[in-house]
Amino acid sequence: MTGSAPALRVAPSGASAELPAELDFWHPVLRSEELEERPARVRVAGVDLAVFRSEPRPRHGGGRVAAVLDRCPHRGASLSGGAVKDGCVVCPYHGWSWAADGRGRSPGNPEGSFRTVAFDALESDGAVWIKRAGTAVPFPRVDAAGFLEIARMRVRVRAPLELVLDNFIEVEHTGKVHYVLGYDTERMDEVICRTEVSAQAVRVYNQGPQKPMPWILRRLFRYPPNAHFVDDWTTTFAPVRSVYDQYWIDHTTGERAGDYLRNTVFFTPIEASLTELFVFLHAEATAWGRLGLNSLALKPITAWLGKLEVGADVKMIEGLADKSTEIRGNQLGRFDKGPLAARNRVRSIYRRGVAGLDAAREPVEE
Amino acid sequence: MRSVNETRTEVLIVGAGPAGLAVAACLRREGVAFEVLEQAGSVGPRWREHYERLHLHTFRDTSALPHQPWPAGVPGYPSRQQVVDYLESYARRFEIAPRFSREVRRLAPRSGGGWVAEARGPEGEERWLARHLVVAAGYNREPYHPRFAGDDGFEGAIVHSRAYREGRGWRGKRALVVGAGNSGAEIALDLFEHGAETAMCVRSPTHVSPRDLFGFFPAQLAGLAMSWLPARVADRVALPLTKRLMGDLSAFGITRPALGPLEVLAREGRVALLDIGTVELIRQGRVTVYPGIARFDAREVAFVDGRRAAFDLVVLATGYRPALSGFFDGAAGGSRLADAILDERGYPRVFGAEVPGAPGLYFIGYSNPPTGALFTIAREAKRVAKGIARVSAAPSEVRA
Repeated sequence: MTGSAPALRVAPSGASAELPAELDFWHPVLRSEELEERPARVRVAGVDLAVFRSEPRPRHGGGRVAAVLDRCPHRGASLSGGAVKDGCVVCPYHGWSWAADGRGRSPGNPEGSFRTVAFDALESDGAVWIKRAGTAVPFPRVDAAGFLEIARMRVRVRAPLELVLDNFIEVEHTGKVHYVLGYDTERMDEVICRTEVSAQAVRVYNQGPQKPMPWILRRLFRYPPNAHFVDDWTTTFAPVRSVYDQYWIDHTTGERAGDYLRNTVFFTPIEASLTELFVFLHAEATAWGRLGLNSLALKPITAWLGKLEVGADVKMIEGLADKSTEIRGNQLGRFDKGPLAARNRVRSIYRRGVAGLDAAREPVEE
Repeated sequence: MRSVNETRTEVLIVGAGPAGLAVAACLRREGVAFEVLEQAGSVGPRWREHYERLHLHTFRDTSALPHQPWPAGVPGYPSRQQVVDYLESYARRFEIAPRFSREVRRLAPRSGGGWVAEARGPEGEERWLARHLVVAAGYNREPYHPRFAGDDGFEGAIVHSRAYREGRGWRGKRALVVGAGNSGAEIALDLFEHGAETAMCVRSPTHVSPRDLFGFFPAQLAGLAMSWLPARVADRVALPLTKRLMGDLSAFGITRPALGPLEVLAREGRVALLDIGTVELIRQGRVTVYPGIARFDAREVAFVDGRRAAFDLVVLATGYRPALSGFFDGAAGGSRLADAILDERGYPRVFGAEVPGAPGLYFIGYSNPPTGALFTIAREAKRVAKGIARVSAAPSEVRA
């Protein structure tokens, strides 16, 4: 993948220029509410797409979203600057229009047959998702059955995917970087860190003393004194995402106590050194629980906290002295097994598209 | 004649699923002796076999068994594995040790009162004698496997939803899910999520409601709130509400029955589909809906509207039958007994209470109400255990 959009010229047959393999997989590109009547431009793996609503979304759901290359095959205009009419995106330059399936129509050339590259697009879990048309890949649905949605955020980080992922799959940084969710640097030696790897996933379980939290937050999350914080996540690579289960256990009884957060984070490469985080924050709570306090307090405070912690991570990653994605040659510790295994799988699965997924049957060499 | 191992107990419970365990736990608290016979080798065997993606469709807090809430850290809709863990911890907590690997063959009343169960155990034939018999063998004991013209010549796979585990192996393949119940819709979702090209066969009109009204309020709680109303009255609220929340799906091949959701349930025993995302895929054209199946060809399925499509996999999410008549048919005068206690479809006529005309016989877990199966099991179990405890306090009528 290069930093700039490749010259994607499309033959009238619709045969596309080379699309990066990463686009084989589903990626969340917009929050649903960000896509209105006008088309929107999104970039994934260096490719610009015009995303639009080919059928408006009724109140109770449905409608259709669509995505085509954001370059008019006619004379190279940006289609996302156009409008949507009759389910097609209309080019602002000469008024050629492009349907969800990639078929084009030119008002001045009614007999002509034109095609652009259309993508698969879908709206689910409050997000718009895209991938290359026709690839048979899993849909990475956000699993939060019975959880309360806290927030959906889209955050950009000026760093390569690998370095952003590194930060999100080890807990050693939570001592220095995070405000409240994580472990004390001074007691980091007490943190248990178990890494399990399989062909397609890396799971890391961390458990250790919760770092001190302000009284009001302790009350909010309802965990007992001397609680252990558990951060248990699984990272998969088609596309790259991690699902975090974060909760507390009473250290004396070993029982779960307090609240339970489930965070799903997608890592999408926008360019070689620009990465987007799409974060779905959920809490195990009912909207009406604690006499409605969950909706009134838990939701906004947790959302604010999530933004704060992610913001702190972003600041740290963007300030790295070395943004090379080479991890070999670094001096690594016991918390770095996860990042190392993930790094291999980003390369062997995600960066190879469907071929990488097909090959991921046996655990890869570490 | 071969020796038959004979055991006596006060209450015999057939089945160690949620219903059997709930009754056992309540009896334990009442101090009544019981034995539980289970065909499989563990408690809650159906929950262990179900497909991986399955979550409870009803809300955790109103789906707990008697006397033990769900543990902390279980989300609103517990997963299949969390249900299994819950049932195991439930059996441990109430010290319920079912007799596993017992295949019950025949259930019959004894002339002097009480009941006898004939079962095949690991050591051979067994007879279990009890004053009370609680049948909790499961609403979904036997898969209902409809046949279609030409299905034996179909080259793809046809499996019942009971045999379906997950969609992983079907990525890039074409799958058809027959049946628009909650399992069918969730299996279609699972297949789509695993990258299969997915279609559903919706054979008859069906009610669809979001699992969570307005995105956060479990439909089951609304069902509970209205459960004291007659079905027709409750439908005056439920029907406009679900119509408003789901919109009109007829353009996508899903039509509503003439009767409201609660009346359909009361009359036909069919629950409304509690949607967890399948309908969104249908609306967006990611899951195609077909009507009933006309016949199977070698590679293709022909539908009653004349459309045809090729499939690699057909999942029959066509439900289950309680298969109870076999228990009673074998008895002397058994079929008369079966006719008296089971309806035309084979479901118990009376459940959750002592069966009239069959003293000491109870069925639990044979309804599928809008309040949720587990909710109702919990309520029935408490009531049945109380009734048994009252009678058992009196001197036993069972004689040797």
